[in-house]
This record gives sequence, C-alpha cells and structure tokens, in this order.
Amino acid sequence: MKAQPYSRSVVAVSTLAMLFLLAPVVFIMFYAFNEGRYFTLPPKGLTLHWFANFFENDRFRAALQSSFGIAGLVTPTSLAVAVPSAIAIVRGSFRGRALLNAALLSPLMIPGVVTGIAFLGLFSQLDVGSGFWRLIAALTCFTLPFAVRALVANLHGLDPALEEAARNLGAGRWRAFLHVTLPQLRPGLLAGGIFVFVEALDNFSISVFLTDLKTTTLPIEAYNYIRDFDDPTVAAMASMLITLAVVLVFLIQRVTGLDRFLDLK
Amino acid sequence: MTIAGYPARGSSDGRWLALPALAVLGLFFTAFAVFAIVSLLHNVSGTASIVGPPSLDNYRAVVGLKLNRDITLDTLWLALQLTGLCILIGYPLAYLMARTPSRTLRNLILFALIVTFLSGGVTRAYAWLIILGNTGLVNTLLKTAGLTPLPLVHNRTGVIISLVHFLLPFFTLTLFGGLKTVPASLEEAARNLGATRLRSFVAVTLPLSVPALIAASTLTYAVALSSFLFPDLLGGGRNPMAANLIYQKILDAFDIPAAAAMAVLFLLIALACVGVLGQLERLVQRRFPTTGRRA
Repeated sequence: MKAQPYSRSVVAVSTLAMLFLLAPVVFIMFYAFNEGRYFTLPPKGLTLHWFANFFENDRFRAALQSSFGIAGLVTPTSLAVAVPSAIAIVRGSFRGRALLNAALLSPLMIPGVVTGIAFLGLFSQLDVGSGFWRLIAALTCFTLPFAVRALVANLHGLDPALEEAARNLGAGRWRAFLHVTLPQLRPGLLAGGIFVFVEALDNFSISVFLTDLKTTTLPIEAYNYIRDFDDPTVAAMASMLITLAVVLVFLIQRVTGLDRFLDLK
Repeated sequence: MTIAGYPARGSSDGRWLALPALAVLGLFFTAFAVFAIVSLLHNVSGTASIVGPPSLDNYRAVVGLKLNRDITLDTLWLALQLTGLCILIGYPLAYLMARTPSRTLRNLILFALIVTFLSGGVTRAYAWLIILGNTGLVNTLLKTAGLTPLPLVHNRTGVIISLVHFLLPFFTLTLFGGLKTVPASLEEAARNLGATRLRSFVAVTLPLSVPALIAASTLTYAVALSSFLFPDLLGGGRNPMAANLIYQKILDAFDIPAAAAMAVLFLLIALACVGVLGQLERLVQRRFPTTGRRA
C-alpha cells in the first residue's frame, strides 16, 4: 500500500505548466497552415502558401543558407576544441585546471548583448573578416561552454582503467584515445553537439551586432520580418525549426535516453 | 600519481591539451579587453571612427542619466520576479519528474521541456505575440465568451508571460538534476514515522534540495537579466530592459564607446548579482555537503 509520493496539487500545477509550455509550440505549428493573413478562429482553411512564401523570399533563403552554414561549422569547431579541453580538465594534473574550467564556462554567464558588442568592437577595430567568419568566431566562443560541460560530465563517468589497459597492451596514447576513449564520448559529443548547433542556429543577441548586408541569419531575418509584415511566414519557419527540434529530441532519446542527456548538458 | 592513466605516463601533465581552448579564450578575452578600452574613448559623431584621449566621460554620462539607473534597477527587480515565478511553477514540475515511478511520464515532461528549449527564441516570442495579441487566440476566445478582451501585449504582462515560458526549461531542467539525487526513501521514512506528505516534504526534501534550488535560480536569474528579444517584441518598445537600452545606443547613434561603457557597467552588475548567489550556494553546500549537487 505505497502512497502516491506526491499530492494532487503537484499534479495539477504540473499539468498546467505542461500546457503552458507546449501551447505556443503547438499553436505556432498549426498557425503556419492558416489560410488567412491574420489569426481567425476558426481558421479560414489550410494552406501551404506560407511555406512557399518563406522559400521564395530571397532574404530568408540567404539566411537559411548562412545560418546552417554557420551552425554547421561552429559545431565541429566547438567540439574539436572542447574534447582536448575536457580531457585536460578531467584527466590533466597541471595547476590551474579549475581556473581553466571556470574560464571556459564564463561565456555562459555573460549577457549576450555584452558579448555581441565586445566582438563588434574588436572586429570593427581590427577591420578583419566578413560577417560570416565574424559570426563563426563569436559563436564558437559563445557555444564552447555547452560542449565543454557535456564532455566533462561524460568523462567524469568513464573509467580511466580501460584506457590504461589499452596502453598496457601496447597501444600508443593516440591510439588508446581513438579506440577506447573517443567511442565512449559519443553521448557527450551528441548532447554537446546538439546544444551547440541549436544555440548557434538560434542565437539572436550576439548575431544581431555581427550580421552585415551580405550575411544574415534566420533569427535576425525572422525578427525583421515580424516588424515589417503581419502574416504567418515566420510561423512556417518556426514549424520547420520545431520539427527539427523534435527530431533531435527523438535522436537523443534513442542514443542516450532523455534523463541521461540532462546530466551531460 | 593521478587517478588517470593519462598524464602520469608521459613527460607531459596534459597541459598541452588546453592549447586550443586557450586560443578561443584568448580571442574571447581580447574582445573584452578591446571593448573595455573602447569604452574609455570617444566616437567622432556621424562617423565610425573612435578617438582618444581615454577618459571616464562615457561612464559619467551613462550613470548620470536617470533613465539608465531606473531601467537597470527595474531589470534587476523584474529578473527577480521572473525567477520567483519560475520557482512557483517549476518546482512542482521538477518534483513530479524526480518522484514519479512512471518512466513514461518523466520522459513526457522531459520531452516537453527539451522541445520547448530547443525550439528557439524568436520562434517563441512570435508565437506569444500571436497568442496574446489584441486579435490573438486568447482575446478571440474571450470575445467569443462575451468577455472584454485584455491588453496582453505591448506591456509588462506580455513580457512576463513570454519570459517565464522562455526561462522555465532552464530552471526546471537544472533543478531536476539536483532533485533526483535527493533520495525518495528519506521522505518515505518520514511518512512511515507518521509525518504528513506536506510535512515530510517541508522537513526533509525541501531543505535537501536548497543547493539545487539556488543553482537553478542563479542560472535563471542570470538568463533573465540579459533578456533582450522578449521585452523588445512583447513589450512593444515601451518596456525596455537593460540589454535593450544598450542595443538602442548602437542602433540609434552607432555610438560604440557609449554602448561599451553601458555594457561594461551592466556586465559588472550582472556578475556581482550572480556572484552573490554563487556565494550563497557555496555556503549552503557546506551545510548540506552530501546532497543536491548540481548534476
């Protein structure tokens, strides 16, 4: 006769919280198919017009390309820097490891606007790089903490004895890493990679200072569009990005499980 | 001599592995150093060129303006209210996730939180704009029900609703990480000894979850402080927070030095607030050393 471990009010608040969380996400996916230009209840009909509108818009097409290009380059760069850093933090024995860890996580605590202006100041003073490369540099710095956190958590859970065994059996350091450690870092790489990718794709507050006439990103274009037009084109974009998020969540669930994924965040 | 087989073996202690990170951090901190210097210089009005001599004039101008002081204080206060709301809504949710025996339910809540988290800022701000707008979902429903429509956007209400939605996954996911390390058996033991459910929660689980609660609140507060997009879109330009003020400085005047001075001050205030909360976390951690560690 085990009693329920929580009361009805916990369930009630949680149910409302879940509705609150999902309402806008579900709503915007339906709104993307709304036939009218404005919101009406009930909707006038269903259409794919706003999706077509999104893809026919030159600014959105350019933004789509550069956003995925930037996120696609930032993700491997950030992970490639994070793997050795995480190993240095967890397995290293030099002084200043704690400081390195703190410094690597610091971009998380700095408001995006501040980071954005800092990079704007730096790049405009140095006058280097196009908007595309400036965004990649700034977003790599910004997303590094997500990758480092995931990999440090992952490494903490690994048994160094496995790698040691490989070394004892004659594997070089590099080979032991490649065949023993790296495969075990898969969940951390996946979790970190997804966070980095989504943060790079979705970033607004830093990117807004670094986009230029040639390079623009999806959040920035969506923002400009919302200010100028009132129709569900951005809802169409949103529903595609949300679908991507759902696919990623299912991927996480299959590879590591959702509750384990959180420990890696 | 270390636990790791790694460094002890070779001549190196693993410090070379930190080189790529140092390069990135170097870039990051160079940007901040340049930025601090720029904040001391002057903008030649109408151009993008920045000249010396260095002075504290920008800082004086920023602090001197009452509007800046008011909005900064207001931002600190609003972030506190938002964190409070997240605790009220997020704690029960995280608690249910940590205690439910049903894996399906836990995964369902996690699914909702992570999908919301991953579905993007502009996307969600836009969704709220349509839901809360004057002819939006909520007001259409109200009108159909014969009630008066409510002003929910271009005011504080819209900013708060949308920001709580934005912050809730940060808060709940972080709290859940700590809450699940508090053993349910302790609470059960209290109940077996005759405590009511509420009492066993208040006397056992709540105090043990304080470190995780502070960790989650600190993160939420830091993210809330730097809100930019939601006050801008849902507040209709009439409810700026500190970050909006800085952005305006760049947009209106392209005055990078003045914006940099504002940003430096804002950064210091934000770091001080987060630092105080972090100190509090360490203090509590010392009192309850074994539990509620952040995952």
